[in-house]
Amino acid sequence: MKTYVAQRLTIAVLTLLGMSIVIFVLLRLAPGDIVDILFSTAGYVSPAEKQAIMKELGMDRPYWVQYLDWLRQIATFDLGKSYRYDLPAWQIIRPLLPVTLELAALSIVFAVLLGVPTGVISAVRQDSTLDYVLRVISLAGLSMPAFWLGMVIILALVTWFRWIPPLTYVSPMENLTLHAVQFLLPALAVGYRSSALIMRITRSSLLEVLREDYIRTAWAKGQSERAVVWRHALKNALLPVVTVIGIEFAFLIGGLVVTETVFNLPGVARFLVQAILWRDYPIVQNLVMVIAIVVILSNLLVDMLYGVLDPRVRYGG
Amino acid sequence: MTRLRIAALFASLVLLTLALVGPATSQAPPPSPTPKAGGTLNLMLREDLPQGFAIHETATISTVWPAMPCLNNLVLFDPLKKTESVDTIIGELAEKWSWQDNYRNLVFFLRKGVKWHDGQPFTAKDVKFTFDMLREAPDAPAKLRINPRKDWYANVEAIEAPDSHTVVFRLKRPQPSFLMLLASGYTPVYAAHLSPASYRTGCVGTGPFKLKEWRKGEYVELVRNPEYFVKGRPYLDTLKYYVIVERGTRQAALQAGKLDVSFPGETTKTAAEHLKHVVPQLVVTPVSQNVSDNIIMNVTKPPFDNPKVRLAVSYAIDRRALVGAVHQGGAVVGASLAPKPWGFWGLGERDLVGLPGYAATPADEKAKAKRLMAEVGVTPEKPLRVEIVTRAIAIYVDMASFVINELKQVGIEASLKQIETAQWHPMATRGDYQIGANLTGIGPDDPDANFYENYGCGSPRNYSQYCSEELMRMVDAQSQELDPKKRLVMVYAIQRKLEAEAARPILDWKLDYFTVWPHVKNLIPHQSIYNFGRMQDVWTDR
Repeated sequence: MKTYVAQRLTIAVLTLLGMSIVIFVLLRLAPGDIVDILFSTAGYVSPAEKQAIMKELGMDRPYWVQYLDWLRQIATFDLGKSYRYDLPAWQIIRPLLPVTLELAALSIVFAVLLGVPTGVISAVRQDSTLDYVLRVISLAGLSMPAFWLGMVIILALVTWFRWIPPLTYVSPMENLTLHAVQFLLPALAVGYRSSALIMRITRSSLLEVLREDYIRTAWAKGQSERAVVWRHALKNALLPVVTVIGIEFAFLIGGLVVTETVFNLPGVARFLVQAILWRDYPIVQNLVMVIAIVVILSNLLVDMLYGVLDPRVRYGG
Repeated sequence: MTRLRIAALFASLVLLTLALVGPATSQAPPPSPTPKAGGTLNLMLREDLPQGFAIHETATISTVWPAMPCLNNLVLFDPLKKTESVDTIIGELAEKWSWQDNYRNLVFFLRKGVKWHDGQPFTAKDVKFTFDMLREAPDAPAKLRINPRKDWYANVEAIEAPDSHTVVFRLKRPQPSFLMLLASGYTPVYAAHLSPASYRTGCVGTGPFKLKEWRKGEYVELVRNPEYFVKGRPYLDTLKYYVIVERGTRQAALQAGKLDVSFPGETTKTAAEHLKHVVPQLVVTPVSQNVSDNIIMNVTKPPFDNPKVRLAVSYAIDRRALVGAVHQGGAVVGASLAPKPWGFWGLGERDLVGLPGYAATPADEKAKAKRLMAEVGVTPEKPLRVEIVTRAIAIYVDMASFVINELKQVGIEASLKQIETAQWHPMATRGDYQIGANLTGIGPDDPDANFYENYGCGSPRNYSQYCSEELMRMVDAQSQELDPKKRLVMVYAIQRKLEAEAARPILDWKLDYFTVWPHVKNLIPHQSIYNFGRMQDVWTDR
């Protein structure tokens, strides 16, 4: 097990190194840079002044020097300074992380709470009216973009109750209730979409397992429906579901852009888009790396869970 | 049973939310005649501060709006008067001022006892420091990283500080409207004991409000400056500017009463009508943004180096139809300065008649355009193909799309190229385009601020690179004219010349439907969005 984890972590480091090259190159390939944006806010460009700012920010150095400098910064846990804010990048990134992680986690919890039970019901009552209703609901979830649902929720609240969630982040220490409300609504909007996917995977996976011989044996032994479905079938049907949950969580870390924007939550995803628009390289590069680390870790966690769910899975070394 | 459980779960979540939400906002109480001290004003920002509070390094309302309360000018357009003119200018850091030597020297007598927010005394040294830096004097002690309004100070020969509370601006030639430039929200005084770069991350001003916190990407909070030099001001305890990137969320927050004020220059007629429909008590004031839709044509490159082609473009575009179709009536036609009553200097409807694109019958104008195009060899069989550039923002693209349709009717086949914001100004300044659909905002409603910046030979903001010595002589002449009536006549002549030569055809002047809750008092929108954000007289009657 330890060897397996060590192997995975080694691969993770190599993946991150590859990621760093991709993100560094892609950012430089995008037209314009932070200096163009700065001039854009002033409505003109002066080549001489532009050159001076490039030098001030260290952007006049060769690309390979800038890249190695960034790697050195990562290795020394100094993520450099934001071009836009002139502040240490980590100081800006740090408060964003808990917001996005909490929203992603809460969304996944919602998704699992809604998706798994409905998937099971749908599979057990295959081709019944209930099954069709649940499938329509799930299809609606897949078809409905989370940002659209988010905007509908906001508009409904403001129209009917003349109320919208807080406009800035409310910490749980400050006001737990408001904090819960602030995260509950976007998590619902995002979780509904994810739940639809989980429901469909649960249903199809469970249907497959329910046709296995050992399930037929369990029925033949006279076991109750609850015991057959929940104890024997579901546990074995959960492997692909766990995979989907892991992928969804990883996707949500970077994919919450629009939801965070609509609900005005100061998270990683919303800030990342702003940083990209501003070509704030230190922020973008490091944020993407942070997201990559979370994705890699969540995948590793999912792989570890396989062993817990299925005793046949063994991690050699 | 399962369905019931699911329904119950949803119902519980909805009920929980409703229980936490609380009651809807109640009706505002009747207005109180006397100002009340205290309270918080909640405002919106559409983006985080682009360069912090460094007003001198930007040309965007996104900086000016939240930074103005922290700073002061020498003089300012009276926040309580809607119209901006020399007559509505009041003193801020300058207690009095006096023109001398036939409008060649402007002397300011500064207030005594004024302190910066860090406790340092304000003196004439700060004024000289700021304006030497702005005009890039050879001996200036500091330099701005970006200096978008350097051209405003081209006529300043020297700035002297004979004592700690007197400053003299010596001009190369008379320029009565120089005071107008100093009264703009774009002209605060910086502290000489601080680096100008410090304003990108913080704000030490002399203004009515002090910076408490700027949480990046979230909000800016300013609190009352108890040592403000105007006794009894400001009324409010706190100003909180929320950064809300999504327009729909901003509008919802205003509608819900979470925000008290709309963002200057942002509320369209349609949006205002919707807000008024759902919340009838909201107060909507139509006001000029001092922002025009216009066409930039690169006069240094074919085919727009040919005046006939430029003129044909101007004739082809039906301005009134544009106002109706693109802005749903939320704009007015005008030449290079905003027309009355939205502005002071612009040509009115009657004056526009006879200028390209303004005839009562658009078909006649298009016929003229076709004739001009025929003269340069363009026929329906052999159309002129051009690429029209515009910024990749909806308000630009909508206008560009309309223009493309108009041009097509006179034989100009234009394809649209959207340019990302990062590339827009570099491209326009370099002249890497043929024709473009553009928006131009002007600080104060004054001819000098506009003409030198947007039509001056060699000005980086003169994107068309149109350069006429005759025009510049006319501009200099109006700038020196002491009689306002005579100056107005001269300014009209300049505008006619600019439109007749299609230097930068103006399509319309956009209106803002500035919206506030009725409990917000003394926040009077001006004819330029850049000049009324000081907030020292604003109070709330909740």
